[in-house]
Amino acid sequence: MTYKKRLTLVSLIVLVMFILHNSFWLWDLDCVVPLLFGFMPFAFSYYIGYALLAVFAMKVIITLAWPDPPGEVVDSFTGNEEKPE
Amino acid sequence: MKTPLGIGILLIYVAVLVLIGYLGARVTRKTREDYFLAGRGLGSFAIFMALFASNITAFTIIGHAGLAYEVGYGAYGYVIGWSIFITPFTYYLVGYRSWLLGKRYGYATQPQVFGGIFNSRLVALLFTGLLLYYTLPYLVVSIIGGSLAFTTISDGFVPYWLASMIIIAVSLVYTIPAGLRGTVWTDIFQGLVFLVVAVLLLFAIARSLGGFSEITGQIMAANPAMLQRGLSPAIAPINWFSFSFINSIAVIVFPQMYTRILAARSSDKLKKVSLYYPLALAGIFGVSTLLGVWGSIAVPGLVGKDADYIVPMLIQQYLAPAWTVLGLVVILAIVKSSIDSQLLSVSHIVTDDLLTRFRKVSSGQAVFWGRVILIVFAAAAYYIALIRPAAILNIAAFAFSGFSIMLPVMIGTLYWPRATKQGACAALIIPAIMLHLWYLGILPAATTFGFMPVFPAFILTIITLVVVSYLTPAPDAGQREKIFGFFAQIFK
Repeated sequence: MTYKKRLTLVSLIVLVMFILHNSFWLWDLDCVVPLLFGFMPFAFSYYIGYALLAVFAMKVIITLAWPDPPGEVVDSFTGNEEKPE
Repeated sequence: MKTPLGIGILLIYVAVLVLIGYLGARVTRKTREDYFLAGRGLGSFAIFMALFASNITAFTIIGHAGLAYEVGYGAYGYVIGWSIFITPFTYYLVGYRSWLLGKRYGYATQPQVFGGIFNSRLVALLFTGLLLYYTLPYLVVSIIGGSLAFTTISDGFVPYWLASMIIIAVSLVYTIPAGLRGTVWTDIFQGLVFLVVAVLLLFAIARSLGGFSEITGQIMAANPAMLQRGLSPAIAPINWFSFSFINSIAVIVFPQMYTRILAARSSDKLKKVSLYYPLALAGIFGVSTLLGVWGSIAVPGLVGKDADYIVPMLIQQYLAPAWTVLGLVVILAIVKSSIDSQLLSVSHIVTDDLLTRFRKVSSGQAVFWGRVILIVFAAAAYYIALIRPAAILNIAAFAFSGFSIMLPVMIGTLYWPRATKQGACAALIIPAIMLHLWYLGILPAATTFGFMPVFPAFILTIITLVVVSYLTPAPDAGQREKIFGFFAQIFK
């Protein structure tokens, strides 16, 4: 798969996460869904699930579109070569 | 906190910070790279704690808990929901490419990265000016918030002026000698302190209120609206949507956050940070949300700014005096870990991006001037925090929005080879002016179509960047090859 296609997939993941955050149609469930662990209402527990999903989404993004710099690029790095005076 | 135990805990806490500063200074070399960027050698745990501790400010336990007190559990998703994903994502989107350019070309700040991409002193100067303009009021407000919380929790024993002085002085003790390494090492310590103690505080307060289920049952009986987001006008969908463009996406633009990304040792370290981040953010704001909502039942009747201090009040009214000291340590840890990094990043930008315009500064001299500027800005911030001028507080109110609308320029510059320096300059200036016109009430509110001003300003930034870039000559091939030819070797 080309990098452009992988970047498109990443954009789709971001869009899905944005929609899941702005999921106003789910607000009706706030007074319907039972408390999680006896003290977390849906408005709160939803974001516990969202945080777990965010970790998974970042894992997918890293796998898809976060390549490490190859050896010849690392050799060209100059940003940390300064010597003390 | 006036007991020997309380004073002892505080002294131990300060002594640990001083010791860390001393140890950091011993290994810090007198070079620009080492003082401001810790030699670009931070590991994943160090960089995670450094970013996280700098990201969490007094707002977490003061402003956010106050909002939860007033609007209920919905405050959690409203303030931090989108950040849970987008903040670590921007570490990838903007952070990784910036880190690559920093490693390749030695760039150490946003003005250097974005000025360097266009080979433009004007772009660099605009970044310098805007970052300082928004960071300084934000820094002062952090000091004010932390000092007020310090005074509240000590029940007036430590007056405001002394609280501000202690917060700034202790931050300087390790930042001046050890630079970024000192702030990162203390961030690890302070970050662990506030994570652990915050969770302990949550359990202790839950216990004194009758348990997690009991207090939730009381809230459901007394004020069921706290559970329903749809019943709170403050977090109505249009505000909820708009707020996604303020709090969450601004984080990578903060100079203290951006610089820490550049200090990562390797790509792999940044990846790990992006995986840890969502859970850490959800955790600390979850604690703050619960304490705020519980406070609405435990200490009812607070209105407006009074509600902001609900966490210190809960600690004072419901826990034994020893907890008051621990609560104070949490507040100090949270406030100082962000203030020290803001002070250092301001000093870094002034030293590296402003001073060098007027005189040649060697690497060793940069460290000297960095320390001098650090002290000057700390003294100025203390003075401003004491007099609290309205103009500074007004700017701070929309500093987050100001940072946010710089993000499209950063993304466009890193991903779009057709972006031009004229486009970048226009996209930095025009939306910033519009933001001021909206926030200062010069333009009628109707012109934002019901959204918070940041949203139309954000869209305007994108449009300005694209339109002006297309209207001006494309960047020359050599400049594009320097940046995008380099990226092409990695992103295949």
